[in-house]
Amino acid sequence: MAVLTRAADRIFWAARYLERAEDTSRLIVSFGDLFADIPATDDSDRRWGSLLAVFGAIDPAGELDHTDERAVVHALVSEATEPGSVRSSVASARNNLRTCRELLPREAWKVVNDLWRFSEEQIDRADDRRFRGGVLGQVIDESRRLDGVLQSSMLRNDAFEMWRLGRYLERADMTTRVVGVRAAGIMQAGDSLDYDEVHWMGVLRSLSALQMYQRSMHGPIDPALVVKFLLFDTRFPRSVSFCLDEIGRSLDQLHEPEAVCDALDGARAVLTSTTADAADGPDLDQAMDQVQQALASLGAAITERYLTVPDS
Amino acid sequence: MDELLRTDGTPHDASRSLWQLLESIGPDELSARQAATELDILTMGITFTVYSDGENIDRAWPFDVVPRVIDGAEWNQVERGLKQRLVAINRFIDDLYHDRQIIADGVFPADLLEDSVNFRPECVGVDPPNGVWAHISGSDLVRDDDGTFYVLEDNLRVPSGVSYVIENRAVTKRAFPELFVDQSIRPVDDYTDELNKLLSSLAPDGVGSPTIAVLTPGVFNSAYFEHSFLAQRMGAELVEGGDLVVDDDDCVYMHTTKGRERVHVIYRRVDDLFLDPEAFRPDSMLGVAGLMRAWRAGNVGIANAPGAGVADDKCVYAWVPDIIRYYLGEEPLVANVPTYRCMYPDERDHVLSHLDELVVKPANESGGYGIVIGDRATEEELAACATSILEDPRNWVAQPIISLSTAPTLIDGQLAPRHVDLRPFVLTGSSSGVGRSHVTAGGLTRVALRERSLIVNSSQGGGSKDTWIVDRHGGAPPAVPAQTQGDPS
Repeated sequence: MAVLTRAADRIFWAARYLERAEDTSRLIVSFGDLFADIPATDDSDRRWGSLLAVFGAIDPAGELDHTDERAVVHALVSEATEPGSVRSSVASARNNLRTCRELLPREAWKVVNDLWRFSEEQIDRADDRRFRGGVLGQVIDESRRLDGVLQSSMLRNDAFEMWRLGRYLERADMTTRVVGVRAAGIMQAGDSLDYDEVHWMGVLRSLSALQMYQRSMHGPIDPALVVKFLLFDTRFPRSVSFCLDEIGRSLDQLHEPEAVCDALDGARAVLTSTTADAADGPDLDQAMDQVQQALASLGAAITERYLTVPDS
Repeated sequence: MDELLRTDGTPHDASRSLWQLLESIGPDELSARQAATELDILTMGITFTVYSDGENIDRAWPFDVVPRVIDGAEWNQVERGLKQRLVAINRFIDDLYHDRQIIADGVFPADLLEDSVNFRPECVGVDPPNGVWAHISGSDLVRDDDGTFYVLEDNLRVPSGVSYVIENRAVTKRAFPELFVDQSIRPVDDYTDELNKLLSSLAPDGVGSPTIAVLTPGVFNSAYFEHSFLAQRMGAELVEGGDLVVDDDDCVYMHTTKGRERVHVIYRRVDDLFLDPEAFRPDSMLGVAGLMRAWRAGNVGIANAPGAGVADDKCVYAWVPDIIRYYLGEEPLVANVPTYRCMYPDERDHVLSHLDELVVKPANESGGYGIVIGDRATEEELAACATSILEDPRNWVAQPIISLSTAPTLIDGQLAPRHVDLRPFVLTGSSSGVGRSHVTAGGLTRVALRERSLIVNSSQGGGSKDTWIVDRHGGAPPAVPAQTQGDPS
């Protein structure tokens, strides 16, 4: 069942924005946990700044004090003028879905509207460490509730596939960013290698992956295995490979997806080839950059094929 | 008059259950229920959009929890009258775009048509399905002191508000669940199904399962919530002008993930002049180039038909009773506000001798310009008004001053009377009779929240209420036979 091109675009982007809000929230909560476990080593501790690096576009002018936890969290979470903040992402998701309510189950709109109202009223409280877990936890829960509503009550039509494409593309991108920043962190950390295991646990937690990793590996945290798990384990729903497979499944349901399938194959190839020898450190960081570029090309192919009205 | 209470403070028969409940729960519990409905409205995202300070702001829909009640028997008469009225108006519109028999027969003046800003020469000779032009109408009704309903105006272009009729009911059911159990309140939920059926009937010949689209000017329009709501309830596509294209085959298509797909019926919520830059305003970004071509070729149904607004006009209004008599040979079943047309000498004489009791309006102005309200005007103003009428009698009409009825409304935690009007929505499926017409049970009750104010518009501090048509059957509903007790084997 086809969907209006404009509506497809709005749903795809609503899914991306919401996934971004959820992933950002999780990342910030788990970073806070991680830093609580590892005492700062000197006065020039810049570890909150590494969070900004995950999001690339935030603070390009370098105006933020990268050591100020409150300022960094505010920029990433509650700043209304920062397009990448959790608050802006939630508002964008809601604005997009508001224009395609007719395509969604009614409860779905209620969830996203509730989340938006909650965000507008309470997200500022996340600036304060004491309330952060509760506020961001609710963002994560509501985002998953929406997925649950769609999973259990939405027609399997093109609108549903657009939602999945947006969700999985954004999720794959976020996983590569988290892995990449951790890898880059190795370069400057140096002194904190004592805590390597704790760091990788933090990475797994930030992707809701710790327990599933342990379940799958039956063993201690091994950096090489963690990277492999997060990038390639097709049983784990936040791994890059899993996300790409799901995108492939959605493309199977859509009309004439060939050009997008080519871009998907391209992303898979980049993922495999660039990470073959990159266990950790700068190589892995660079590999993740390349995977992100391949994902961007995949996004462009989806936009070109399904989200753009052809010139008539 | 008051919609719920008699002058002695006792409730009308139809509102007795409601009034008993209001008295038993008291103002605090009522305020709590009001608060719960407001939260409901926020959660469901029931909004309207206002333009203010250069920005479009989405506001929560203003709602008063106390319903307005109308007796079922009384409503039946109004319902019949509205169906009759709209069938006649549709015959009139069709006549104006064809033979103009009513003008030839001297019942409607030719120069009124020539002056009409809503007449569309592009529509002359078009035969829309079933002879209907104004499929969807929102007619504003008011009630005078003696309890008579009057039609104040007919909105035949893109009337809005029906989504709030349905949402108000959903909210009220949760606020007063006990009242829906023990009395018979007519449902309003069937409107969107009836609309869907009506729109389907406009599909080009041979199309069994038509694709219906609601055409909206976009997210910044004040009624966008409603456009989305109607698309949701009908399973229709919600489209903007940019989603559609008219091809060389004069058919309408929409851009989808599978390429172009045909659209058979358009429920347009865009004004005539913005509908098709090829036919009307070339600068319109809201419409679809070629839409009029497709419509004239019979390849797409459009509701309301372009040009239907010709009968939505202060001048034409005054002729509606004559229009009903002319086309149907019947007396109007629901009253017009009596309107004196100064072009006719006897009506003019009446106006001139009763100026202080009338509202005098220039016929071709809108937005309240030039209106003289007799009992508030000075002697000088009345004299000037009389001079103007004598100078150009054709340009003036006059109506008695109607005092709107009131209904108890929750104001600062207490019930207080506030003025209300009523907008029922009328669907007309055929101009040959009322068999394919539908009227909402009640309609949108709008309430002026400020004391003594008559301004009910939601953009100007007006609120809304659920409207209950209550049927009294002179006793309890038929009893269900008691189940036989004992061993079923």
